[in-house]
Amino acid sequence: MTLRGIHAVFRVECIKLAAQAKTRLALAACVAGPFAFAAVIRLQSSLPEDTLFGRSVQQSGFALPLVVLGFAALWALPVLTSIVGGDLFSAEDRYGTWSTVLTRSRSRSETFAGKTLTALGFSVLAIAVLGVSSIAAGALVVGTQPLVGLSGVLLAAPDALRRVALAWTTALAPAAAFTGLAVLVSIVTRSSVAGIALPVGLALVMQLFALVDGPEPLRRLLMTSAFGSWHGLLAEPRYYAPLVHGIAVSAVYFVVCIASAYWVMQRRDIGR
Amino acid sequence: MNWRVNRLFRVIRAGLLVVAACAASSCGASPITSGRIEAALAPTFAHLVEVQVDWLGLPAMTAADFAVTASCRKLAGGAGSGEWGCTLVWKGPQRQTLTDSYDLFVSADGCYTATVATENLGGPLLKAKNGREVRNLLYAFEGCFDTT
Repeated sequence: MTLRGIHAVFRVECIKLAAQAKTRLALAACVAGPFAFAAVIRLQSSLPEDTLFGRSVQQSGFALPLVVLGFAALWALPVLTSIVGGDLFSAEDRYGTWSTVLTRSRSRSETFAGKTLTALGFSVLAIAVLGVSSIAAGALVVGTQPLVGLSGVLLAAPDALRRVALAWTTALAPAAAFTGLAVLVSIVTRSSVAGIALPVGLALVMQLFALVDGPEPLRRLLMTSAFGSWHGLLAEPRYYAPLVHGIAVSAVYFVVCIASAYWVMQRRDIGR
Repeated sequence: MNWRVNRLFRVIRAGLLVVAACAASSCGASPITSGRIEAALAPTFAHLVEVQVDWLGLPAMTAADFAVTASCRKLAGGAGSGEWGCTLVWKGPQRQTLTDSYDLFVSADGCYTATVATENLGGPLLKAKNGREVRNLLYAFEGCFDTT
């Protein structure tokens, strides 16, 4: 396995992705979605009060990206991370192209690493686009007024912006874990439907479990708990324990999923 | 492919069963306790009064001036997420002692929504000194606390 080989696979996969309507549509939705949401908020009087910061969306533009983050964690982020990760490997099964891919000068490990990197890259890109777009939508449509945080403290615009950007950054860890899961499901089942539907379904199930008043250590072990780990960043004093737990749990999920996916891929009998 | 899907489902189902069994037998105490809620609610309320006083155009005061103390109990008894009732005792701008009650909904992740249950804090909107309408932060607010 060489870096050059991985890079070659990565480049080819990126070119393939850029040509797909699916990825373009997803990224376009990431850009347009927050602006559409902001426009709706401006036009109507009812507020999304059941989401954190939903009450503040008309007072401060910094509340909007946090409401979007809260909403997105329910299903949009699992979907965004699995539409590429859950399809990248199984697409080769669907088109029956594994034998042509693997008879090229790139080894199986290089193909695996390159494709996994592409999946991760897309997840990071989608979250970055959605985050930047929702921060921009809040600032442009509502304004940059100070934000009332989760401890009732008024956060001035630069401080609020920093915390909101950090909050969006925390979504990267669980997103990587979901990408790993999608890659694993996609390799094991050889089905893109399963590769996308299973991680999204699991995310919904985990969130239902999180609603049950179970023991705290168990709740923290759920992949989706990390999506809420930004709450501490908006409190005063800030608390970071859920964030650290979230990153650790996501890392374990990611490593286990990717290692198992690699193991299955290496032992797969390809060619028919 | 079918047996692979089946195997995957079996693993997932087994995992979920373990989680469900643990949750049902509550193999650990809930971190949502009255102590944690009180420690989060009192300073949050004080900070909000400080912001509200400023928004209304009244003479500035700091959160510490309001000397808020909170006492909370779960409506169904015990600890855990769900509906809680809290009573706040605090000092108003004229140094008078005030008592207000809040209905809280606390979720398992340590975030809560508090809605005022008494009448003396006004409706959802208040009129500022300069005649502008401002949102009444004390009418309903939310916050989060560390559950670890």
